[in-house]
Amino acid sequence: MSDILIKANDLRTHLQTGSTIVKAVEDVSFEISRGETYCLVGESGSGKSITALSIMQLLPKGIASHPSGEIIFHSQYSADANGSGPVNILDVPDEDMRDIRGSRIAMIFQEPMNSLNPVYTIGEQIIEALQIHWPDMTDEQAKQKAIKALADVQIPNPEQRIDEYPHRLSGGQRQRVMIAMAMACEPELLIADEPTTALDVTVQAEILKLMQELQNKKRMSILFITHDFGVVAQIGHKLGVMRHGEIVEQGAVQEVLSNPQHDYTKQLLAALPENLKQNNRATMLAAFREKQKENKEEADLINIENLKVYFPIKKGVFRHTVDHIKAVDDVSLSIRQGQILALVGESGCGKTTLGRALLRLEDPTAGEFSYAGNILSSLSQKQILPYRRDMQFIFQDPMSSLNPRLNIATTLTEPMAVHGIGKSKDERIALAQDVMQQVQLDPEYIWRYPHEFSGGQRQRIGIARSLVLNPKFIVCDEVTSALDVSVQAEILDILLKLRADRELTLLFITHNISVVEYISDEIAVMYKGKIVERGDTDQVTSSPQHEYTQKLLSAVPRLHH
Amino acid sequence: MTDNSNLIIENNNKRQSYARRIAHDAFSNLGARLGLAWILVLVVVAVFAPLLANSHPYLISIEGAISSPLYEYLTAADIILLFLFIMAVLLYFFKWSTNKKFVVFIASGIVVSTISFSFVDTPELAIYQKYRDLDRANKVEWVINAPIPYSPKDYLRDVGDTSLEEPLTAGLRTHWFGTEENGSDVLSRMIHASRIALGIGFVATGIAMIIGVIIGGLMGYFSGTVDMIGMRLVEIFEAIPTLFLLLTFVAFFGRSLYLMMVIIGITTWPGYARYVRAEFFRLRKMDFVQSAIVAGLPLRSILFRHMLPNGFAPVMVAASFGVASAILYEAILSFLGLGLIDNPSWGEMLNQAVQAASFHWWMAFFPGFAIFLTVFAYNLIGESLRDAVDPYLNKK
Repeated sequence: MSDILIKANDLRTHLQTGSTIVKAVEDVSFEISRGETYCLVGESGSGKSITALSIMQLLPKGIASHPSGEIIFHSQYSADANGSGPVNILDVPDEDMRDIRGSRIAMIFQEPMNSLNPVYTIGEQIIEALQIHWPDMTDEQAKQKAIKALADVQIPNPEQRIDEYPHRLSGGQRQRVMIAMAMACEPELLIADEPTTALDVTVQAEILKLMQELQNKKRMSILFITHDFGVVAQIGHKLGVMRHGEIVEQGAVQEVLSNPQHDYTKQLLAALPENLKQNNRATMLAAFREKQKENKEEADLINIENLKVYFPIKKGVFRHTVDHIKAVDDVSLSIRQGQILALVGESGCGKTTLGRALLRLEDPTAGEFSYAGNILSSLSQKQILPYRRDMQFIFQDPMSSLNPRLNIATTLTEPMAVHGIGKSKDERIALAQDVMQQVQLDPEYIWRYPHEFSGGQRQRIGIARSLVLNPKFIVCDEVTSALDVSVQAEILDILLKLRADRELTLLFITHNISVVEYISDEIAVMYKGKIVERGDTDQVTSSPQHEYTQKLLSAVPRLHH
Repeated sequence: MTDNSNLIIENNNKRQSYARRIAHDAFSNLGARLGLAWILVLVVVAVFAPLLANSHPYLISIEGAISSPLYEYLTAADIILLFLFIMAVLLYFFKWSTNKKFVVFIASGIVVSTISFSFVDTPELAIYQKYRDLDRANKVEWVINAPIPYSPKDYLRDVGDTSLEEPLTAGLRTHWFGTEENGSDVLSRMIHASRIALGIGFVATGIAMIIGVIIGGLMGYFSGTVDMIGMRLVEIFEAIPTLFLLLTFVAFFGRSLYLMMVIIGITTWPGYARYVRAEFFRLRKMDFVQSAIVAGLPLRSILFRHMLPNGFAPVMVAASFGVASAILYEAILSFLGLGLIDNPSWGEMLNQAVQAASFHWWMAFFPGFAIFLTVFAYNLIGESLRDAVDPYLNKK
């Protein structure tokens, strides 16, 4: 078929670090036709990004090598200095590759905050890219083209916004500018490396729609790298599933999603929260509800009344307060004993601040909250120490939440010793190993250091650390957002099981709606520091009342439309 | 997914701890290796100084009686240094945890110090020419001398032809680095002076580091008012010129090595405080510190167990430069004639070279070169450490 734009044959990429060779990409073959979106899906470390960087030839020369394989690029224009025709990107000299990069193949990255140069206006950055690829373009022409590019990505008032610096734009707008920059030179292939992962769902939905529109208009091909099957289902035509540097399965998106052939694909799909739901949650929940009914009384464990957490904005020589950032603005909320309440909202809506305030990691500005009838909001840091046993926090990033210099035994037993749990060191270690078993970690690992563990294992250690004190209430702050789906499924099941065994009360902070639907009993939607809607999870997700909740739910990319 | 996580564990097992990785990165640089080698040579020379250069023979047999004058004349400090060095080398080969090693080292050091200070009785007066007189009187049957058989303060008055000999010119005696105007051996003086150079470097930097880490740590952790007061204190101390304060104190309180160490220590801590403060600002927001707070751990543990070990690397970098500058301060003071009176130091030897009526190259060259090499070695190590700690540098 002549319509094929780029074709990889048995591509292998090896990375050399010191004396060890990492086989990052092994015998990968795929082809992308014009106007098609090819999605590359896989968990972290599966080689998706390395494949993309191999196509762009952006890997450092001294470290990366391609022992075999080829990437044939069928450009409409002459990419080769000797004339037109297909070229093998791996053989193209550096000089010519610079012409291909940007003008024929463009790339957008995951983190919009870092990918724009903060000292130039967005206009200057787009114009520079344009003039490098079309040296005879005048400044005025380039400016007009840049404005048009910004208009294409639906930046309002492009004539004025062109002179803005990147810090004045929101994350979503920056990602639009990145797309505008990539599209300005009218590339034939756009490589998008997790372009929406760092964005909120509502923004993600807009960006995805925009990319689809632009693709239809310019008949451009997209290589879309993601770990989110919902996104794939929404924009992909073809899908390749990667694991350990190999593509284990590829085909048309609907076909692969509805009828996966490879075991790994099946595993991944089964681990998605929306698919988990059908399996074991129902039985677990039913058992729990039964138990709760026996207890009858459902006392409020946590009671928040008109809580406000403001951060002052200070200005001038005397640092006087000119204004406040209202992170948590007049929130009233109660959490019943044994309940999992999910707190949902976009980044910056104040959900993490609320969770941190409950543990007095932030001091409340006004209002109060109580735990089991004891008012905690007005206690000093010393007075709160006895309550620290009962209330714990699990952090988002498993990489930074463990002290790299202490082994697991010390991390787990030090809080126990402080709170007088266990009589001797040996007893505490035995208790810690017990907890490690509950979070499905091998107790033998207790003498290891954090860097010896994978992300999922570290998150289990984080959970174990919060459990050693036998808490009644745990704030889980985005505990699964840094993890791969299969690991996420395991962690969620551990949490559900622990809740049932220990009658824990959880405040589950997340932005991931499908996780919420799976794990929580009740849901509270937070928007700009306020709780806008609260209710039974099934009820809220099936018939949202508030406008914002409706928008949020409709923006979630779903596997099944 | 189990196979995947096992794979990661296997890979990570090969990774070393952070401290070891930094050390490995830093000392894979040739310059840093040479620097470290020179420092190690200096340490060995300083520890074994009395055994390397001494007029007292190791063993001497006088009219049938065998004695060891060198052993008799060892001071308590010599014995402690020797003991600690041997202890350190021994402990290096034991497979104990670092904490245990440290405790054993300190404990044995204290025990030996008390014992040697209370029992070692060194004769105050040493008459170096005694052995040569005995030899001339043919009373010595045999003798085993130190490799350099001259003490730093042995002015060889009994031998007439001394004072200002060029290296390797004398007929009967060998002075590798020549002699100075009083007739004592330059190499011997330099060997004994290396103790002062190293001592002042380590102790002064140690004092500065302890003060700096505590004040910087408190500023970084508490921020707000504590930070503001702390920073003003830092600025005040930074405004004091170390050299002039040293000159003033020497003028008022006389010349003392310990005073020098303390003054250099208390005027150079602000640098360390700044580093630690910046690190603690960063660490304070890290999740593992937050979780330590949530677990209700005491402040002592949060500061010194969870934060300090993770923020110590930049302090080490600053310290290696600090040692170099402390050595320079001592050399400058001695050069100005305000250093120690009795004991030789490299700076004081330079001073002698300049003050002599005519210029004698060996008196200036050897101590000057030793100062240069030592300061250079510390700077090499410091730079290499800084590169190893810097996360933004590209590491292969």
